[in-house]
Amino acid sequence: MQRDIAIVAQAQVMTDSLDIPRERMLFDLVKGLFDKVGITRHDIDGFVLNSNDFEVGHTIANVFEDTPCGAYMKDETHVEADGMWAAQYTTMRLLSGNYDTALVVGNSSGASTFRPYLVMDYQLNPTYDRQLGILNELSTAALQARAYMAKYGAEEDDFNEIAARLLRNAALNPYAVRSKADATAGDVLASDYLYEPLRQLACYPFTDGACAMILASGKRAKELTDKPVWIKGMGNSVDTYYVGERDLATSKSARMAGERAYKLAGISNPAKQIDVAEVSAKFAYQEPIISEALGLFKEGSAGKVASKGLADLGGSMPVCPSGGGLGAYVFTANGLVRVAECVRQLKGEAGEAQVSGAKTALAHSQDGFCAQHNGVMVLSTEEG
Amino acid sequence: MTFEMGEETREVQGTWDISTYKYLIDGAGMKLLVDSMKEKKIRGIKCPQCETVYVPGPTFCRKCYIDIDEVVEIGETGVVMSYAVEMADVRGNPLEEFRLTAMIKLDGADTWIIGTISGMDWHDARIGMRVKAFWVDEPVGSLADIDRFEAI
Repeated sequence: MQRDIAIVAQAQVMTDSLDIPRERMLFDLVKGLFDKVGITRHDIDGFVLNSNDFEVGHTIANVFEDTPCGAYMKDETHVEADGMWAAQYTTMRLLSGNYDTALVVGNSSGASTFRPYLVMDYQLNPTYDRQLGILNELSTAALQARAYMAKYGAEEDDFNEIAARLLRNAALNPYAVRSKADATAGDVLASDYLYEPLRQLACYPFTDGACAMILASGKRAKELTDKPVWIKGMGNSVDTYYVGERDLATSKSARMAGERAYKLAGISNPAKQIDVAEVSAKFAYQEPIISEALGLFKEGSAGKVASKGLADLGGSMPVCPSGGGLGAYVFTANGLVRVAECVRQLKGEAGEAQVSGAKTALAHSQDGFCAQHNGVMVLSTEEG
Repeated sequence: MTFEMGEETREVQGTWDISTYKYLIDGAGMKLLVDSMKEKKIRGIKCPQCETVYVPGPTFCRKCYIDIDEVVEIGETGVVMSYAVEMADVRGNPLEEFRLTAMIKLDGADTWIIGTISGMDWHDARIGMRVKAFWVDEPVGSLADIDRFEAI
């Protein structure tokens, strides 16, 4: 990258039932972050906000977010897609050299204002997909899960094992809204099917919340924190919109997003060089598709990864020590939360979920049906 | 063999059923206003730092970025900062009676509230005109408790 850029600090808030206005949630979160870092809103020269009009319930969702985030009369812009795109956009603004200290904030109150599955319905193509009323977020997910199972001989139980691990990890994450410290695949099996083979506990919980992060140029970052988290590489890739034009069992766009980020970060063997990964999966079955595409595990290895505990906290390639999208899924901000969780890991602030000695982390994000659009950021404790 | 494409544009019917939203409002600031309106009063919140008086009152100052909670009573008279004459509704249907709407800076406030001005020909309206709030007979603690404004 042309200029060293680092993440200075992060803050998160999540709930399954928001009882304060969204504006208050954002004010408390962002002001708290400024106070923690010891700066004021006037130290920020670029604000990037991230939210979804549908979920918030009015268009140009950011108009009510600006002043709670401290952006009154400041340089502000908005990203409607997943929060990682906001983080990547913020990084690019810093790379331009025109900004030195930036704030990115992603949020959603979708769980309390609007059923997130419905939001996805309105992402469907109105002239074909919506006409028959067959495709929706859950049916497309079930189709994708089934495609992976058929291609690699995976079983529903493999996905239930993944879900159980994520729910156990979520119990170590203070921000998670759903968790179970002793979760087993049997617990997941005992939950109802939403669409076969998707068990309720293997699907994301509706979550309200926000994530804020301060990014800065290298020099500025070192003034603001003893532990900057350096952005080493980033990439994204978008597949064709229509799920009927894709190989659902694999994710070419996740692979390409990863390759672009790895190239910038100088990563040639991700499974070896990455110490911890935070993958955006809305459903347990998505985790193997994505982490395999990112080169963290061998293709079609979901069963083996689960039975050998390779993705566990103490495994060879810990995935989502935070519990990922099954512990909390703030629609829109989820990819940003994955970055924030990598920051917690690399700063050594992940508590009981800490991957010891983590130096390089991968954050992944997705957007669209069956993860049409994928983004990756590679972060490191080491400068340069 | 090639396929005869024919017309490229056709129509299919679509609706956009966006269900019901539940919004959480800024309870404190809005409650202060509607509760005071029940007593036929208008109250706002003042920032102790920049002394801006907000009506309706937010619970933090936009500029100073601090929590604010100092309640101030505002007058029920004020000045028209700008006005608009509604001649058709948002769907384009012409109105039989034009509606004079205005942004009014109440005495003692720094921000403007919205209201309807009655009892005058809109041609005579002007920015800077002084107006007074008239209340409904039995206020219930709602934004509709101010029935109208009239020129004074």
